[in-house]
Amino acid sequence: MPTANIYYQQREPSPLHQIWLHMSANPFALTALYAFALLLVMMVCSPLLAPFSPDQQFAEHISQAPSWHHTGQIKFLFGTDDLGRDLLSRIIAGSVYSLGYPILAVVIAALIGIPIGAWAAMSRGVQSSALNHFLDVINSIPSLLLVLLVIAILGPALQHVMLAIVIVLIPQFIHGVYNAIHDQRYQDYVMASRLNGCSRWYILTRVIFPNITAALVMQITLALSTAIFDIAALGFLGLGVQAPAPEWGTMLARSLEHVYLSPWTMILPGLALFLTLLSINVLGDSIRAAIQDRVRSV
Amino acid sequence: MTEPLLQIQQVSKSYYHKTGWFRGRRSLALEPISFDLHAGETLAIMGETGSGKSTLAKLIAGVEMPSSGQFLLRGEVLEPYNYQQRCRHIRMIFQDSLSSLNQQTTIGQQLLEPLRFNTLLTLAEQQQKVLTTLCQVGLLPEHYNFYPHMLSSGQQQRVCIARAIILEPQIIVADEALVALDPSIRAQIINLILDLQQEMGISFILISHSAEIVKHVADKILILHHGKLVEFGTTEALLSNPQQQLTRLLLGGE
Repeated sequence: MPTANIYYQQREPSPLHQIWLHMSANPFALTALYAFALLLVMMVCSPLLAPFSPDQQFAEHISQAPSWHHTGQIKFLFGTDDLGRDLLSRIIAGSVYSLGYPILAVVIAALIGIPIGAWAAMSRGVQSSALNHFLDVINSIPSLLLVLLVIAILGPALQHVMLAIVIVLIPQFIHGVYNAIHDQRYQDYVMASRLNGCSRWYILTRVIFPNITAALVMQITLALSTAIFDIAALGFLGLGVQAPAPEWGTMLARSLEHVYLSPWTMILPGLALFLTLLSINVLGDSIRAAIQDRVRSV
Repeated sequence: MTEPLLQIQQVSKSYYHKTGWFRGRRSLALEPISFDLHAGETLAIMGETGSGKSTLAKLIAGVEMPSSGQFLLRGEVLEPYNYQQRCRHIRMIFQDSLSSLNQQTTIGQQLLEPLRFNTLLTLAEQQQKVLTTLCQVGLLPEHYNFYPHMLSSGQQQRVCIARAIILEPQIIVADEALVALDPSIRAQIINLILDLQQEMGISFILISHSAEIVKHVADKILILHHGKLVEFGTTEALLSNPQQQLTRLLLGGE
């Protein structure tokens, strides 16, 4: 059966396709997207990609310079640290701690925070105030300080850091979603849907929710960069992931002692951290802009 | 004399402004008002800004709930907050058509909404109904997949009218629905409304500033001033023999 389309037909691109069209027009957004995708692939395939085990020590190659230096070797692309461990393998393996765990924390916090925020915004009166303002107190304390507080009580360990970050992120999600829904809730189009006799669930999920995606993307971006930053900062302070693990913040802390002798042990993990945060922020911001542009321009 | 379609009985609305922790001030936006609306009639509500005419429209459409009084539709009480009961009989066209349409969903999806929640039609029947309604208001079936921002303001207004008539209601409340449009489109929309009224026998409640439109379409006029009913009567009576100075001013001061 011939399925060829003989008539000229202008197809309206789907919303996702439109967002992609807006995004692909921006070279910074594309760069950030590819950088982030690369980081994700690196994280998922880290055991396969890393040339050596992150803990393997090469006694004859201690503090080897990176390969582009005249004393460097191609065997150790990024050089080695003061214990003779391959830096490239450590950075690749470290992405699980520095990128994978923050993503996990954000997913958990979003799954808990978004429904509570939506519930608070859709209810009114005391119930809404209680849900929303109860968590304002937590919001007023800087996140890193609060994470430190949780660590001080529970002791330094990866699972405690994760717990602390999730606890800190939940109120931010609740607040963000609450404000976004509250802004939309009294708009005419929501009233029109209510007059259509729609159920509250339908109004929340099908009427309001598509209109807060931009705010939601922004919130997730913020949360993700906060989580990455907090895990790295705690690792740096020696309160999070403990020393032999190849976490980027921990590696930075360790490199402090011999930064004059082997500066690459500080610069390379720092660069990885910087590029991750930069790509996430640029990507989040351009997705938000693309979502907003979609309805603004024809 | 036939039984009135909609009876408005002693309906009033007051707002509560919180001035302190426990104290508040009550302000009366609409004093108790009673009138009847008959089937197929067009009622125009006029008044100055802040006279409570928008409040009255919102009360009738069910956007806001009356502080006292009740509405009877053919003798049946319209319960407040029962949107499903109300939307089968009374629909509203908002002042700003763009903001009353959801930017992120297609026109078709938005027109399916009332059918989905208020009828027992299957999805295919619902879609067919949406397509016929789109044609009825002078749009094309292709507009089903359009997003609101792709349409002109006149087309958006037509979508709002389609949304209002899709459930085949008996009363449509239009709150200054024609203000934002330019004269030629306004004329089109008015003609559309009049055609639909003849076809479907709908009663219109029209909130308007414009004396010309009111004279052209309205059967009866209701004048409000500071939340009080000043004058209520047929258009001819109010035009030929206005009792109040305000009526004379609002209707063109002839």
